[in-house]
Amino acid sequence: MTSITLDELLAMETNCDRDEVVDLRSLETVSSYDDHLMCPICHCPFVRPVRLQCDHVFCQKCLNSAITAFAASRDDFTCPTCRTPTRGVYLNVPRLLLNMCDDIRVRCPCRNEGCQEIIPRGHVQSHFDKYCGYRLMKCPDSACSKKTRKKHLSPEGRCLHEPHRCLRCDEYIMEQDYETGVLRKALREHIDTCPEVVHPCTASKYGCPVKVKRADLATHEQICPLIAMGPYFEAQNARLDSLELTIRHLQQRNEIFEDGIANIRSTLVQSSRTLAEQESSPANSDPRQESANQSQIDSSNLYTATTTNYLLSLHESLREEVGQLSHAITDLDARASMALMNECLRLKEDMAHTNAAVGSIRMQVQWLLNPRLHQGQRAGARPSNANTGNGNPASASGPSSGAGPSTAFLRPRRLSDSGREGTKL
Amino acid sequence: MFASKRLSKELLKMQDHLPPGITIVKSDNLEEWQMDIKVLDSNPLYQNQTYRLKFTFSNKYPIEPPEVQFIECPSTSEHPRPIPIHPHIYSNGIICLDLLSSAGWSPVQTVESVCMSIQSMLTANSRDERPPGDSDFVSYNRRRPRDIDFFYDDDNV
Repeated sequence: MTSITLDELLAMETNCDRDEVVDLRSLETVSSYDDHLMCPICHCPFVRPVRLQCDHVFCQKCLNSAITAFAASRDDFTCPTCRTPTRGVYLNVPRLLLNMCDDIRVRCPCRNEGCQEIIPRGHVQSHFDKYCGYRLMKCPDSACSKKTRKKHLSPEGRCLHEPHRCLRCDEYIMEQDYETGVLRKALREHIDTCPEVVHPCTASKYGCPVKVKRADLATHEQICPLIAMGPYFEAQNARLDSLELTIRHLQQRNEIFEDGIANIRSTLVQSSRTLAEQESSPANSDPRQESANQSQIDSSNLYTATTTNYLLSLHESLREEVGQLSHAITDLDARASMALMNECLRLKEDMAHTNAAVGSIRMQVQWLLNPRLHQGQRAGARPSNANTGNGNPASASGPSSGAGPSTAFLRPRRLSDSGREGTKL
Repeated sequence: MFASKRLSKELLKMQDHLPPGITIVKSDNLEEWQMDIKVLDSNPLYQNQTYRLKFTFSNKYPIEPPEVQFIECPSTSEHPRPIPIHPHIYSNGIICLDLLSSAGWSPVQTVESVCMSIQSMLTANSRDERPPGDSDFVSYNRRRPRDIDFFYDDDNV
């Protein structure tokens, strides 16, 4: 039984305060506890109680606050309960007191997160540290600032706050809420089949105002006249539907026909107009022209009446113009090809002329060369200065100019010359 | 935090059980409460009278004492509440009681125990008088009760 001074107690308090995670004073007690187990300062069951010389017990923290408030002089401190001057504090209190305080049933501090555990107060710390699945932990993903319940922490250390698509519906929910989300889905499904749910009569679409629980629906349906009429109504509905369908078809066909008629009318207008033009050119007024004029007026009235017809006629006239243009183009085409043909013929004739001229020139050249050749054969080894006297330099230059006058006697030995002479002759 | 926790616990207990002659008038917030007290025995000074106490709590309650004083409701109102006549109670409702001073206060005290102390203070009194210098004090005092240096000289009451 050793006591410590008040200053030592104060120093201890700050050391011990750090490892306390669960605030035992804020726990919600379930069982009622004796007032004698209550610290007179904080009115909670003792938390780490200490005892004064006068045997009055307080929580260490509460006594600490009381001492600090008496900051004037530690020596004057008196027991808050009995005002006995106190200098020492005993840390050991009866084991009985500690056990009774630790045995008080409290709710888990994570109750707001969903933990329903009721545990002795002495086990709260270990429950919170080790077993409570609802304790809020930091998300293992350091980039995520949200907190997650301990039981939802995945072993792989993934972040469970990313939205995932639910398998049953198209909603996006966070992975950690998946369980509750699925439960809600199950509830919705149950509501669809629950016999207690108030459900309208199946004939409500035919006007039955009755709404009863699903269990009583069968009995109602036996007496409901609208249900008895149900098949008849449905047959009528089906008939109406099919009739509507055929009406729609007929409308479509009608539209097609109307279009066709409009086309025919516009072509009639065109033809009657051309007819009228043709007949007005001879300038004789016979009844046929009048009737044509009449029909033209009638039809023109008709087609100006509707814009569609006007547009159609516009289209027709444009088509006519295009036809005319294509005609003109083919005309031009034919004309151009004719011109080409003419040019070609003229050129061919010219070529024939030049060919003939070339032929006659060749004839003349041969005729001019012949006497010279004959002369050369007859001359033999005679000095060939006659070469210089040749009147045609163009024909003489080829074989003779290369040899020159001094080598004229060698000429018969040249193979090329003899060959050429052979061909020319 | 500490104060509100402790006060809510006190309130729970008082709603469950209160000593005779003490009732809660107003406790809707954890800063100011009002209590009605009656003197139970047949003291002619306080017979058939109810007095109203106002408690003002700081956030250091119960380490620091609450501010406690009587408040007056005019006699024309539905519940008239006069200031009891007592040699230690000034006519403006300020009470000269050592356990309400920071020196005499103990964190063990509760609203209930303070009410009972004041109740017994009235019960034991037989003098029909105000403290000496009451009119001067009432006219000049602008201080709050906790700032007043009372001299607790009378051990009889």
